Amino acid sequence: MGIGLLRKALSVPATSLGVCCAYDPGVLTMTTRKASILATAFCALVSLAAISRAQTTDAEDAAARAERWKALQEAIFGDRKVQDGSGVIELDVPPRALDAALVPVSLQLAGKKPIKGVYLVIDNNPSPLSAHFVFGPRADPRVLQVRVRVDEYTLMHAVAEGQDGKLYLAEKFVKAAGGCSAPAGFSEEQALQEMGRMKLRLIGDFAAGKPLQAQLMIRHPNFNGMQMNQITRFYTPARFIRSTEVTYDGSRIFHLDSDISMSTDPVIVFGFVPPARGTLKVAIQDSDDATFAHSFDVPQPPG
Amino acid sequence: MSASRDLPRAGALILILLGVSGLAAEPPSSAAPADEPADFWTGPINGPVPATLSGGAVIHAQELSELLKQGGVVLVDVSNLPHRPENLAPGAPWLPVPHRVIPGSVWVPGAGIGAIAPDIDVYFRDQLAQATRNDPDHPIVIYCHERCWLSWNGAKRAVRYGYRNVHWFPEGIEGWRAAGLDTVIAEPSTPSSGTPTP
Repeated sequence: MGIGLLRKALSVPATSLGVCCAYDPGVLTMTTRKASILATAFCALVSLAAISRAQTTDAEDAAARAERWKALQEAIFGDRKVQDGSGVIELDVPPRALDAALVPVSLQLAGKKPIKGVYLVIDNNPSPLSAHFVFGPRADPRVLQVRVRVDEYTLMHAVAEGQDGKLYLAEKFVKAAGGCSAPAGFSEEQALQEMGRMKLRLIGDFAAGKPLQAQLMIRHPNFNGMQMNQITRFYTPARFIRSTEVTYDGSRIFHLDSDISMSTDPVIVFGFVPPARGTLKVAIQDSDDATFAHSFDVPQPPG
Repeated sequence: MSASRDLPRAGALILILLGVSGLAAEPPSSAAPADEPADFWTGPINGPVPATLSGGAVIHAQELSELLKQGGVVLVDVSNLPHRPENLAPGAPWLPVPHRVIPGSVWVPGAGIGAIAPDIDVYFRDQLAQATRNDPDHPIVIYCHERCWLSWNGAKRAVRYGYRNVHWFPEGIEGWRAAGLDTVIAEPSTPSSGTPTP
């Protein structure tokens, strides 16, 4: 992807200081208390007005969101056609997330089409292209789950790329705000101590040649560089996982390129097809070029 | 003093105690409002905020919308600027969406930080003085985002500066948009961007 192009397509329009009107020396004729009483008195009228206004604003918001996605789509996929992904890809996100720093995203690629990979775009995050999965020969791409940070109310897009090169789109709106500046929940020292530890949990029973799901838990703060300390006013430097390669006996399950939108301590649920007993290997590289690797026996030894 | 005259008082006391213990027994929930700290909040910026602001008043979307129609309100968004991490990969796309504010707002990033930077402190104080024309009773409304302490801090700061008609809008721009009200795109107003001219 041409990053320059992405920049150009999305350059923020330079607006003049449209904020000056707050300083407009308008005649102050009413005290706040009076205004409050009035506000209460006209409550019914206001609600009526709000209904019609809501429609205009929603329409404007929808237009702005569509425009943003159009620009992102062009920047990421160029002039390639992106078609409706019904029957190929499903995207599930809670409409209103409980924790904006930990929004669960579930992708279902249950169609019959062979899938090469999938892109996850969080439109209104400052760094919108959040994840790009590329599946390998050992993948069962039907189920994929990650957890992400959401900075403000946004559309989320998942684009599956078929082996035939065609692009299939799924879209959801999610209401969450502040996920990018939310703290990691522990100190930097603590995070760095445990960084790189991993756990793998198999979901279902192992049978050679049968699809199996796994939950991969990785200790990594994924500091996104946007978390401010209110006393020092310094930002915790960004340090995040850039790439995750998961293989089975040397053959790829998936490769993930990720960005600062991934949550702290990432949890990835994925499917794979083990042809026989073997070893699942995870290799991670982060933005400081630190690498972490771990091997797991499949099936897992008892206990 | 007779015992019979004391009984109603004792009854009232019991009721009060019951009321208090009833509140205390309430299980803590993430949605519950936080207690008002005595000073500025210096903990995590996003999270449950108090239900009140001592020295100021809480205002909600429709009431604010009506207040703004009267004019003469100083409206300040104290949201922080989106911060691009220094160590993002060179050339990594950084595309914050245009910042939306309530029409008529001035956006002063940094004015809501617990330990405010000295230059922003001076700037925020000057901006308020100028906008209110040094009238401590001039209505001021401070907001940022939902579940965000910056506006609580900013409003508290305005109260500390001596303003007596400070409103805190805790639902922020999300609450404003959820109420179907209009927004406009704004640029930050900072000491280096110069003073907006009336």
